[in-house]
Amino acid sequence: MTDVEIRNEPKDSDWVRITSTDGFSYLVRRKVANVSGTMRNMLDTTSNYAEAVTKTCPAVNRHSRGIIAEKLVEYMCFKAHYETVGPKEDIPVSDYMERVPPEIVLELLLAADYQEM
Amino acid sequence: MSGNNVRGPTSALTEFLRSSGITATTIARRVATRVQTQTPNQQDQAIAGPSTSSQNATAESSSRRVTRRRSTRASGYASDELDDDEEPAVVPAEDKPMDEVEDEAPNPAKKRKLSKAALAKSKEAAKANAKKGAKKGADNDMDDEEDPYNALSRSMWTNESSARPSVGSFEDCAVCQKQFTVTKYTLAANPPPGFLCHQCAKAGGKDPFKKPAPKKRKAAADKRTAPTFDERRFPSLVTMCIQLITKHINDIEALGDIGTMNVEAISKALSKNRGLTPENAHLFYSATNTSLVLYDATNLTSPALHTLALLNPALTSLRLDFCGHLDSSSFPAFCDFLPHLTSIELLGPFLIRIDGWIHFFEKHPCMERFLITQSPRFDLECVKTLVKHCTGLKALRLKEVGKLSDEFLEELEALNQLEYLDLADPSTSCSENAVSSLLTKVGGKLKHLDLSGHKELSDEFLFSLASHTGSMESLALNGLLEITNTGLAEFFGEWGNPPLTKLTLARNSELGGPALQALLEHSGAQLEELSINGWKDTDEESLRMIGFRAPKLKRVDVGWCRAMDDFIVKSWMEGDEGPKRRGDIVGRLDNLREMKVWGCNKITDACPRKAGVNIYGVESHISR
Repeated sequence: MTDVEIRNEPKDSDWVRITSTDGFSYLVRRKVANVSGTMRNMLDTTSNYAEAVTKTCPAVNRHSRGIIAEKLVEYMCFKAHYETVGPKEDIPVSDYMERVPPEIVLELLLAADYQEM
Repeated sequence: MSGNNVRGPTSALTEFLRSSGITATTIARRVATRVQTQTPNQQDQAIAGPSTSSQNATAESSSRRVTRRRSTRASGYASDELDDDEEPAVVPAEDKPMDEVEDEAPNPAKKRKLSKAALAKSKEAAKANAKKGAKKGADNDMDDEEDPYNALSRSMWTNESSARPSVGSFEDCAVCQKQFTVTKYTLAANPPPGFLCHQCAKAGGKDPFKKPAPKKRKAAADKRTAPTFDERRFPSLVTMCIQLITKHINDIEALGDIGTMNVEAISKALSKNRGLTPENAHLFYSATNTSLVLYDATNLTSPALHTLALLNPALTSLRLDFCGHLDSSSFPAFCDFLPHLTSIELLGPFLIRIDGWIHFFEKHPCMERFLITQSPRFDLECVKTLVKHCTGLKALRLKEVGKLSDEFLEELEALNQLEYLDLADPSTSCSENAVSSLLTKVGGKLKHLDLSGHKELSDEFLFSLASHTGSMESLALNGLLEITNTGLAEFFGEWGNPPLTKLTLARNSELGGPALQALLEHSGAQLEELSINGWKDTDEESLRMIGFRAPKLKRVDVGWCRAMDDFIVKSWMEGDEGPKRRGDIVGRLDNLREMKVWGCNKITDACPRKAGVNIYGVESHISR
């Protein structure tokens, strides 16, 4: 009963699970997952996809390693947090960029492209 | 009152009255009830007016009288019926006790004098059945005074300038009762009745010389800033990655091994949002590279393209989309430093001059695939050189080449190795004879032919196509409006060619069911891609046949086929039960991956979906 209710009215504070192919999984708020256009569509409750029903998304289609999924989730939290701040406040974008090791940039690029973010 | 321009306020008043629920009919009814008790004198006046037959016959006699009188007076300057419709809310003063009017008017004596003069004048005019009638000014005053609603609402609509007596006239001050001369600075008393002399106005704390406050509405409009674009404060992750790649581009090892499989995916990702720059393009360069595809070279300047040629000397195949910067200074590098090049595909090489092309063909006699789109300078001389040097050419695309003409086709007849020919969308269509003649020479080996947009081609052309081709796999004939339903049906009926895998016949709005059935009969078995976009009159039965006859179909574009609906989609996706045995499923497209249904407005939100099949263009799916 409660399940049905939640499915009908998705709340930003719902928990959803993001998984990588090598077994890592990350629990984030729906609001955070919605940063990614692909995940938002996957979790769209009107669509009845398996992802929406189980509230679990694979982080990347192919080549998804834990570290890539982690960086994706990090960016999603980062964006969800700073998206709403006022125009005066500084967004530490360069801090985030420093935390991305160059070895994974290309992989991350592909993952980000897939996730529409 | 005299300088009052009433026409504006009157119609504004009419608006106001209408919004408060007072209309011509309610007034007519009210007047009708009142008129029962009216004096015969007034009735006489009414009868004296000229009759206008256009009035509403069912209306009460008094209301007829009112409007009729008005229209007569109005006929002097605006005799059309518009006036009657526009200002039906006016009720003459006679219908109302005179004292009531006096009470409401700020300056009764003066007004009455004026109105009496005007009344007399207008009566005369009406009696004389004169077309010119009363003067505008007098008439306006009449309207004002006649209309009790106007008088009532004056307090609401008031603006000082109109309420104030004319400048230079005398007026008694509302406070000190002294007579003073009205000026344009004279202020109305607050609370209303009367006006203030200069001293009293000043004593009351108002500055008579104060300029009226600037209009507030305008200020509000200034304040509002229309957001013409959304500033993207927050960089997307893709942008960040591209920045990082650009930052580390000189240390390519740090980026790790790209892997040949990923190169194309990375190239595509970089090309989105114009991300490919002269700096990060180096990611794809290498001395051993034999093939290079850049999907968006917009930001690669002429020197960067020069560098591209220098850093990839082993290229045999090159594709550059949006290579608008390729010009006479960088293209020679393509000619001189890419000796192994056998295949080149350029989208938008606008700036390459004729001698540039000629030089290129001279340097590359082994060219097999020459595909260009949108090159307005490519002319007959270029074609001659191309045919002369690149005799082994297998694929040729001269799409959207403005100078394409019959002479081009004559030259191309020498290219007897051609397998791929794309001459789509010229600025002027080639003639049927030239195309037929070309097909007799090169048609035998052709596998792909695109002659979209050659508007002169008709059924005759289809005959020569049928007789001179035999190994075709893919055909595109978009926008050939001359081709008829029966012509195409006959063509597919006679054609000895094996079934096609790809067929695009979009925007041929004359075609429909018979043509579709014939083409399915011919090619259905192998068809993987089909576009019948814009076949608006295709019937439902033929559309359903796609499911039965084209089992290998992967992509289908049925945009603007009006008969498309949810049930056809359902039968394609899920199939129908076969007639022979229960549980037999027929008419299902198992390989379907993509469906375009733009403009099929019978397809609703309820249209069936299936995993792995993308449906584009369902109107109700538009979201976010």
